[in-house]
Amino acid sequence: MQFTKLGLLAGLALGALVAASPAMAQTVVKVWSIDGIDRPGIADTFSKEFNEQNTDIQIEYRAIPFDDLVNETLRAFATGNAPDIVSFDNPDFALFSSRGAMLDITDRVKASDVISKAQYFEGPLNSVSWDGKLFGVPKYTDTIGVFYNKDMFAKAGITEPPQTWAQFAEYAEKLTDSANNVYGATFSAKAGEEGTFQFLPIIQASGGSYNNVNTEGAAEVLDLWKKMIDNGWASKDVLTLGQWDSTGTFNSGNAAMAVSGPWEIDRMVEDAKFDWGVTLLPTITEGGERSSALGGFDWGIMSSTKHPDEAFKVLEYYVSQDDRLFPEFGNLPARGDIELPATGIEKKDAALKVFQEQLQYAQPRGPHPEWQKISKAIYDAMQAALTGQMSAKDALDQAQATIKGIVG
Amino acid sequence: MTRPYVPWFLLAIALALAAVYLFPLYWMYVTSMKSGSEIFANPPTFWPVDPDMSIYPSVWVRRTMQTYLWNSVLIASGVTAITVILGTGCAYVLARYRSGWIDFGLFMILMLQVLPASVMITPLFVGFNQIGLLNLPRTAVVLAAAAKAMPFFVVLVRATFMSVPRELEEAALVDGNSRVGAFFSIVLPLARNGILVCAILTFMSSFGEYIYSKSIIQDGSMQPASVGLSGFLGPNSSDWNSIMAYSAIYVTPILAVFVLLQRRIVSGLTSGALK
Amino acid sequence: MARIFNSMRDGIGFDLILVGAAMVFLLALAGLPLVYNILMSFQQVDMFTLGELFRPLAGFTNYVAVVNAPEFWLVTRNTLIFVFASMAGQFVLGFSLALFFAQKFPGAATIRGLFLVSWVMPGLVVGAIWSWILAGDFGVLNTILKAMGIIEAPIFWKSDPNFSIWAVVIANIWLGLAFNMLLLSVGLAAIPRDLYEAAELDGANAFQRFWTITLPMMRSTIGAVLSLGLIGTLQQFDLFPALTEGGPANTSNVAGYWAWQMSFKLYDFAKGATISVMMFVLVLIASVVYVRSTRHEVRG
Repeated sequence: MQFTKLGLLAGLALGALVAASPAMAQTVVKVWSIDGIDRPGIADTFSKEFNEQNTDIQIEYRAIPFDDLVNETLRAFATGNAPDIVSFDNPDFALFSSRGAMLDITDRVKASDVISKAQYFEGPLNSVSWDGKLFGVPKYTDTIGVFYNKDMFAKAGITEPPQTWAQFAEYAEKLTDSANNVYGATFSAKAGEEGTFQFLPIIQASGGSYNNVNTEGAAEVLDLWKKMIDNGWASKDVLTLGQWDSTGTFNSGNAAMAVSGPWEIDRMVEDAKFDWGVTLLPTITEGGERSSALGGFDWGIMSSTKHPDEAFKVLEYYVSQDDRLFPEFGNLPARGDIELPATGIEKKDAALKVFQEQLQYAQPRGPHPEWQKISKAIYDAMQAALTGQMSAKDALDQAQATIKGIVG
Repeated sequence: MTRPYVPWFLLAIALALAAVYLFPLYWMYVTSMKSGSEIFANPPTFWPVDPDMSIYPSVWVRRTMQTYLWNSVLIASGVTAITVILGTGCAYVLARYRSGWIDFGLFMILMLQVLPASVMITPLFVGFNQIGLLNLPRTAVVLAAAAKAMPFFVVLVRATFMSVPRELEEAALVDGNSRVGAFFSIVLPLARNGILVCAILTFMSSFGEYIYSKSIIQDGSMQPASVGLSGFLGPNSSDWNSIMAYSAIYVTPILAVFVLLQRRIVSGLTSGALK
Repeated sequence: MARIFNSMRDGIGFDLILVGAAMVFLLALAGLPLVYNILMSFQQVDMFTLGELFRPLAGFTNYVAVVNAPEFWLVTRNTLIFVFASMAGQFVLGFSLALFFAQKFPGAATIRGLFLVSWVMPGLVVGAIWSWILAGDFGVLNTILKAMGIIEAPIFWKSDPNFSIWAVVIANIWLGLAFNMLLLSVGLAAIPRDLYEAAELDGANAFQRFWTITLPMMRSTIGAVLSLGLIGTLQQFDLFPALTEGGPANTSNVAGYWAWQMSFKLYDFAKGATISVMMFVLVLIASVVYVRSTRHEVRG
């Protein structure tokens, strides 16, 4: 009986939904993103404001958890239920754009008064480009650097933050204080995208790239990481901790340095009861090449849309609000023409400056339609080396072989 | 000589075992009341320095938990209803005969469980889409989850029917009852306790249904509590206190019902019901 | 016509309807997805053909690719460890508890009821809790073990390749204990008491009674517990993302999680389907064990 009732309820709910949608000739644009699940985010806030303007376009917004976004979209696309606009993490974008699932907006952007290609940073722009065409626009961007505990540095007699990875390891040893449960450093070498996010910059700084991972420099740094873990200068749990949890141990005073990104700043301002600063990601050799990870999301219109013009108008609206990204949501715009206002919180403003400098060195992951497989090869190799199953060189060689099979 | 003390000694052991077993549950409650950095503290504190209960109402409101929990109840009820209606008859027949066909039937019921739900979701989604069932997402989840719950139910209830004396049913048939009549008036009442308990167990396990719901139900106001929980796990943030508080709110009511019912469940199953 | 109706009410037709309804339901909602996955494991799949049944054939290339993956043997080993260690742990502990609570002492039934708690806990929640308990630095298990003098340095349950699979096994044993204890308790209660009394008169000791009465009488229950346990363990999913995500370096990756990873993390649906079809072998064993165990059933 419960079952019939259930069906009835669901039917009623559906009826109510149909009745509630306006009867005018309004165009409904469906938008999916991860924002607005736990707290107000970019996409849900802007969509609501757009709808309040009462144009003849209405946005139907749906928030999807990060882990499910790509799968939901794939499944919806295959069954003809795809949204008009969707926002992907930047390495996932090529999966869709390379297969023609995203709408080519090259010409629309050229004709647009709001969006111009020139204003975006190169890295984010690469992630929405495929085959010389533009399939989306960057939503916001981020990157990683090194947070360090200035009080602990002073106590250990270290005056400057580390410049090279060798220094990083050296300082980590000095800063380790196992009697008080303090590790010298923490980072995320997790079996997942976050692990690749933190390790790929090292490959890139050593002259490699996602399809050339077995460089000498990368193996060297990997050995340093292993040394830190084996000697207890970094917790073994860096292999399973995500960036947020790993930095949590920094905030609680259990680690003296942490590799992570600007999304940590607000929590750190609140939680950390010590003086801290941010510095650029170390290089491999003194004064060597710099690199960093490129994070952040992209907007795109799906090629299956029935309302490309309306969808593009929505996209233009989102982009027109870019100057609010940082003050309201703490996200960095992916473009150089927006001045970020000072917040008045000294540490936050200082950290921000470093991250903005770091962004110049940020390189995208991919773009490649099979990025996730490449990423798995990279983090598998990293973990195999860090757990001592293989030497760093062998692990990276194996990853290279796997990646070659994927990239061709 | 020590004989009178043995039961008390056993009781002490039992309590100790229960304490060990229930520790994870205790840890859930304790963690939910710790502050953000205290949960990362090393060594961990066994009781929060400054227990903060205010997280419960705030999580409840922030996550509109009443909607989620209501949906969980709806889905679990639907799954239980279908499982009981379809599974009971099936179990009865599979217990009544002894032949190659019955073996084959039992075999099939288990074999159809070869795939984990995580892999079945894509074909089910495609299929539901084709017949338009995605517009009734909770119904779709109920159907899918019932298929997962069925084998367990059939196996257990079949054992219940096995213990209903065959002679009673045969006597009823001799008395002029039809098969239908004998089933409803003799066999079913005798197996009632076992069926009821298995139904409760099915309800409880489908209360946590997660994989189907998260893919099939897109509208937040129709999702069950398990899906609501996963919403906490963002890309660069996981709010652990809230996760634990949410979990506590999620499982406490069902635990409470369970503790109230548990004597009946266990005795229903162990003393006579399944015999 | 009347004959058919009559048979439905009072003959074999009645049985066929009862069993048929359930079977049709199961075939539609579990059988068809199974066929879809088997088909998919022999095909090339991409996002445009995800919703279709007929796609370009791939022959056995998916199978070859899966077997040749560097992690294949590691995952196979882990799957076997996970399945057999979990089942052994659940079964032995569950049986011991069932026997223990079959003794007569005050509060036995009430306390036994508490042991069913893990049955009602959603896997997602259990995973999150254990992930905190098993954490290396701030985990409470290490603190307890250290205080008891069992270990000196903390064990990194989730991050040490020697322990990672055991971390999931521990959590899974906890999760499955209720199920095992419950079913085995039921089986124990069904054994007629006079059998034991007779054996006691014959001078059989406790161990002999267990061996000659309890075990043989429990055959069918044990068969059901083990086969359902095997299926449940193979399908265990929720614990992995919460605890180790199969890491470090795949040392805790098992077939079920790997299949999910292929399909929904790497978006290689064909290989995900292939792995899940390969798990078929293990479920086949479970089904045979169960069906055979029903041969020993005693009809009441």
